[in-house]
Amino acid sequence: MMDELELLKKDWKRKESELPKLSYDELYAMIWKKSSSIVKWIFIISIIEFVLPQLLYFIPSVKEGIEPYERLGLKNLMMGISIVQYLVVFYFIYQFYQRYREISALDNAKQLMHKIIRTRKTVKNYILFALSMFLLTFLLIAVGIALSDGDTFIHALDLEEKAMEDSIDNLKFVVVGLLIAVGILCTAFLGLIYFLIYGLLLRKLGKNYRELKRLEI
Amino acid sequence: MNKELEHQFVTALENNQNIVHKVCSLYTNSRDAHNDLFQEITIQLWKAYPKFRGESKFSTWMYRVALNTAITLYRKSKKRVQTQDFDSVIFKIKADEYDPTQEQQLTLMYKAVKQLGDIEKALVFLYLEDKNYSEISDTLGISEVNARVKMNRIKTKLRTILNP
Repeated sequence: MMDELELLKKDWKRKESELPKLSYDELYAMIWKKSSSIVKWIFIISIIEFVLPQLLYFIPSVKEGIEPYERLGLKNLMMGISIVQYLVVFYFIYQFYQRYREISALDNAKQLMHKIIRTRKTVKNYILFALSMFLLTFLLIAVGIALSDGDTFIHALDLEEKAMEDSIDNLKFVVVGLLIAVGILCTAFLGLIYFLIYGLLLRKLGKNYRELKRLEI
Repeated sequence: MNKELEHQFVTALENNQNIVHKVCSLYTNSRDAHNDLFQEITIQLWKAYPKFRGESKFSTWMYRVALNTAITLYRKSKKRVQTQDFDSVIFKIKADEYDPTQEQQLTLMYKAVKQLGDIEKALVFLYLEDKNYSEISDTLGISEVNARVKMNRIKTKLRTILNP
C-alpha cells in the first residue's frame, strides 16, 4: 500500500500541469462575489430565530389575547417576566455576536468547527429559553385561571353565555386543560421545527467535528 | 482594502492557484461544483488576507483556509451541483502514458480516495502535497501522533476499498 500511495503522489505531482489556470482578471472578479458559506447562513438564520419569537408579541391578536389575563391579576407577574425575558434575550444576542466574531478561517480545522458549533449552541440555548418561556406563559395563565374566583374568570374570558349552560368548575377545568394541552403541543411543534433546522445546518459540520474528536480518544 | 492590497493578493493567488484547484478537485465531482468551491475559497482567502502577516508562507496559509472552506465553511449551492459522476481534471488518466496495469491501479486509487470522508481526504491531500505530520497536525488541530495513526488507518481503508 505504501508503494501505491507513493505512486499516487508521483502522479498527483505530474498532473499539476493539467490543472486549470485562471487569469488575474478572473481571480480579481471573484474576490467581489458574495460568500455563501455556512457561517453566513448560520448568522442569517440565527438572527431570524432571535427576532421571530419577539415579533409574535407585535401581532395584534396575540396582544389582545394577553389582555384578559391582565384582568386575571397576572399583570404584574407578566410584566416582571417580560423584563427578565428581555434582559436574557439581550444577553444571548450579545453572546452570540461575540462568538460569531471569533469564527475565523485562520484557525485550525478543529478549532474552527468548535467555534461554529459553540456559536450555534448560543442560539440553541436561546431557543430552549424562548420555548420554556412560551410554555411557562401558558402554564401561568392556566394556574391563574385555576386559582381565580369564578366571577373574575368568567368575566375575563367573556364566557358569560357559556356559564349559563355549564357549571363554573367544569368550564374552568376545560379551559385549564385546553391551555395546558395547546401549550405543550405548540411548544413541541416549534421545538421540532427548530431542531430540524439546527440538525440540517450542522449535519455535515457535526459529522466532521465528531470524527476529529474521535481521533483524540 | 486599498488597491495595493488587492493587487498583492490577486497576484499571490494567481501564482498559487494550483493549491485551490487541487482541493476543489478532491472535494467536488463536477466542473460546476469545482468552480463554485473555488470561488468560495477565494472569497474566504480574501476575507482572511488582511490578517495574513507573512508569518508563514502564503502557500502554507492557503492550505489552511482552503481546507477549512472545503471541510467546514462551504455549503453546496443546490442548483449548481450535478448528480452524474464527472472525473475532474486532475483525475483523468492519459491512456498512452501508462502501462495498462498501472493506469488501472491509479484510476482505482483516485476513485478510492474520492470515497473517503472529508477529514480523511484532507489528510491524504496534505500527504500527497508532501506535508509533514507536524504541518498536518497544525492544519487539522489534532496531535501528530493521532495524525499518524489516522493516516495508517486510511491506508488500510484504501487497501480494503482496492481489494475487497
